[in-house]
Amino acid sequence: MSRKQTLAILLTLIVMALASAWAKDAKNAPPSEKIPSGAKVFIAPITDGFDTFLKDAIGKKKVPVEVVASRDKADYEITGTSESQKAGAAKKIIFGNWHSREEASITLSNIKSGEVVWAYSVHEEASTHGQRSSAEACAKHLKEAIEGK
Amino acid sequence: MQSKTRAVSLLAIALTVFFAIDPAQAWSQTEDKPTQDQTKADSKASSDVKSTPSDEGQLATVNNAKIPAYAKVYIAAMPGGFENYVIAGLRNKKVPLTVVVDRSKAEYEISGVSESEKAGWAKMLFTGSQQSNETASIKVSDLKTGAIIFGYSVHKGNSARGRQSAGEACAKHLKQVVID
Repeated sequence: MSRKQTLAILLTLIVMALASAWAKDAKNAPPSEKIPSGAKVFIAPITDGFDTFLKDAIGKKKVPVEVVASRDKADYEITGTSESQKAGAAKKIIFGNWHSREEASITLSNIKSGEVVWAYSVHEEASTHGQRSSAEACAKHLKEAIEGK
Repeated sequence: MQSKTRAVSLLAIALTVFFAIDPAQAWSQTEDKPTQDQTKADSKASSDVKSTPSDEGQLATVNNAKIPAYAKVYIAAMPGGFENYVIAGLRNKKVPLTVVVDRSKAEYEISGVSESEKAGWAKMLFTGSQQSNETASIKVSDLKTGAIIFGYSVHKGNSARGRQSAGEACAKHLKQVVID
């Protein structure tokens, strides 16, 4: 094996190693996606009809997205879960609190890429306006995420 | 004979270059520190598990395995929609992972169980607490090898923010095994 051939093989191996490392870096690059203003969003059904409250809250908080009824027409999808618990007798008598306990968590994912781009969870031990309050909290934070605040 | 020596030396150089370029990957694959023994009841499978007590739960890492930053992670459905709280926790705790909704596109999978118990009248009356009791446990598995590389369980007797707290606790401890 001549000296030139040895050098050529060595160079090839170095290039291959570099390419492999670059490919790994590119694969695990941080997601830089930002939710664009005016994006079409589909809200999937959420437990206890929370999706209805969320749609209303998105309109009320003037979130710059367009809510669509069909998933096929959407760029993003909101999925999530929620739980609402009315104040029981013990809570009313012992704490004098009539407000409900609200919990919700939503996830916004890009339908094309399949990546989750935003998520938020809210917990209110004594929610003044029940599910409406938690939905509005989700909408408010979604608006902040879109506007980059 | 001389060409054989050259070939061996070339291979050695190539390997050195490869490990020098990608030390994180090499480290995660080659490092195999001895782990502390747990109870005698533990089987051979759990003998590599390192246990660290924390305020909230139990942290377990297998073979000190690490997850590369921005690896694609799929979070399987959990009871009560707890997966949503874990995703929100990952974002809130700024865990450098990319969550995907399609399992086939993922490198790792997070699965687990969770249980939430609301405060009853007795708890409210005797302890004056209306906070819930949260229990959750998650595990992270490598989809290629099928190995479970991380496990964590959390229990909160008086969870200030219910499942949100449990989800954030899982995310916080998961961050420890992610190479940033």
